[in-house]
Amino acid sequence: MSAPPATRAAGGPAAGGEPAGPASSATAAGGPAGGPGAPPRRGPSVRQTVVVAVAAVALVAAAIGSMTLGAVHVPLSAVLDAVTGQAEDGPLKQIVLDLRLPRMVEALVVGAALGTAGALLQGALANPLASPDVMGVTGGASFGAMLILLLLPDQIALLPVGALAFGLLAAALVFAIAATGAGAGGVGRLVLAGIAMTAAFQAGTTSLMALFPERVQSAIFWLAGGLTTSGWSNLRVVWPYLAVGFVLALTLTRPLDRLALGDDVAASLGSRPRAIRLTAAVAAAMLAACAAAIAGLVTFLGLFIPHVVRMAAGTSSHTYVVPTSALAGAALMMVGDTLARTVAAPIELPVGPLMVLLGVPLFLWLLRRAT
Amino acid sequence: MALPLVGRAAPALDADAPLLDAREVAVEIGGRPILHAADLRVGTGELVAIVGPNGAGKSTFARAVAGLQRTAGGSVRWSGVDVAQLSGRQLAQLRAFVPQRSRVPEGVSVRDAVRIGRSPHVKPLGRLTRADHDAVERAIARAGVERFAERKLTTLSGGELQRVQIAVGLAQEAPLLLADEPTSHLDLGATATLAKLLRGLTADGLAVVLVVHDLSLAAAVADRVVVIARGRSVASGPPAEVLVRERLADVWQVDAALETRPDGHTALHVAWLGRTA
Repeated sequence: MSAPPATRAAGGPAAGGEPAGPASSATAAGGPAGGPGAPPRRGPSVRQTVVVAVAAVALVAAAIGSMTLGAVHVPLSAVLDAVTGQAEDGPLKQIVLDLRLPRMVEALVVGAALGTAGALLQGALANPLASPDVMGVTGGASFGAMLILLLLPDQIALLPVGALAFGLLAAALVFAIAATGAGAGGVGRLVLAGIAMTAAFQAGTTSLMALFPERVQSAIFWLAGGLTTSGWSNLRVVWPYLAVGFVLALTLTRPLDRLALGDDVAASLGSRPRAIRLTAAVAAAMLAACAAAIAGLVTFLGLFIPHVVRMAAGTSSHTYVVPTSALAGAALMMVGDTLARTVAAPIELPVGPLMVLLGVPLFLWLLRRAT
Repeated sequence: MALPLVGRAAPALDADAPLLDAREVAVEIGGRPILHAADLRVGTGELVAIVGPNGAGKSTFARAVAGLQRTAGGSVRWSGVDVAQLSGRQLAQLRAFVPQRSRVPEGVSVRDAVRIGRSPHVKPLGRLTRADHDAVERAIARAGVERFAERKLTTLSGGELQRVQIAVGLAQEAPLLLADEPTSHLDLGATATLAKLLRGLTADGLAVVLVVHDLSLAAAVADRVVVIARGRSVASGPPAEVLVRERLADVWQVDAALETRPDGHTALHVAWLGRTA
């Protein structure tokens, strides 16, 4: 599609009696060089494209690293053969398909889920501090994980189920409190209910750890956050919730843009502000609970990624920020996981703290530059 | 809408019915009656001002007819169709509502904001077509905001922001624009600019409903004024016939008189401290 020239002279429904709008006629007469106006840009700006490109390159590079590097080096050609089904059966194919591919996919979906969840919540609650933590999801998921790790250590396969179930339960309780009674649906109510629910579940988590001090060792890794080489079992548990969360996120980007101009403007444009807010919170809760079920507490990503995207790209448009946050989240998670596995091999560093160490300097640098 | 209802047949609009016909509208908020019975009829190309004292229910009435506030009684019809039967999208193509003060988000340019105003015409998950982009540029030009179309909303003055709000509404290309006290935070010059803009829109064929405090402004721009007092519409008609001394005394409890000169000057002569001589 070629960009057509500006058509501002086309006029309104009945341009005949054009009354003199002082500002517009002044601009038309004394407009800057460029005559009748350069066509306004319609696509993303260079800066926005660069941010997407950088994230995409980092993602691909980290994915290649994630598939090839490790205790056994697998050449890229062997990886491609295995993934496309052309490789002969053997240990290399097994390593690629049963160990590294699922871990790479986990890093991808966890990072994308947290980036998306943060972008949705910050938009829906109009609050830069919003992250999946404020919905109670993180507190609930931690409690669910501790229940399994500390009370039922034999049933380790239930870990993602417990984290997911309690993460969603906590969010459901927060919604139930926030969406009923007088003053229902307000942002303040939702956030306060989330903080209270987080505190309640955290108390439960701490109590469990105090009751079983000898088993706490196994819980530390989960709390630190990180991926494990556990094949496809985690993804098998969470994929339906992930799918619902991502599909909802896709339908929410334009409604969230309307909401950014205020509830009344959103309503003027035919949206229902409360419905948008609630749907966004539900989607974010699902995505964050899934991420916690797979990777433990790495929720810092959800707060941090959307800010980085907005500051780096210079736009807050949700049609851009939500998908780009998903991409950037996936890239950071995958870079973090690959580094965590390889930097100090054979020791595997916990991904959560490593990503915070990677992310905080970038975040603070952008924060100082942003006006 | 986040989750659009599918399969709902759109009710047919009646081209002969008035654009907006609201009768005996009542509103309760939190169980408390705010509006008892208010009427408003608006036709194409008309500018109607809603005036009344603070707390009389002007803004509530405007929100109710615009479909932003649930009604407890009466009827609101847009082109003959009850407001409850219209989907948000359909309603957005019949009227634009410009709030008194809206959120000013960071990182959003004027043109981005006006594009958001176009969204009722864009299919869910669809993109703006060439016609949509043209409509956005028309709205930007009409509201006189081209000069700062690339600037972020956070850098604009109050008067500039209010014109951007109008541009967002104009991008909806609805036949009626409802503005809730658009001039209440503006200085004299910005108010005059906005008044000219709104009056100019009626020459384009739009209907405009203006909730406004300033009676001399209402008298200058409006074809008709509707007076709301204690939750009821108590008078409707041309400004000079409605805003008479007795009514100003009765509704606002002031000793005041409206003067309208044929050359377009209007003034409200108020005995601010009561009659002193």
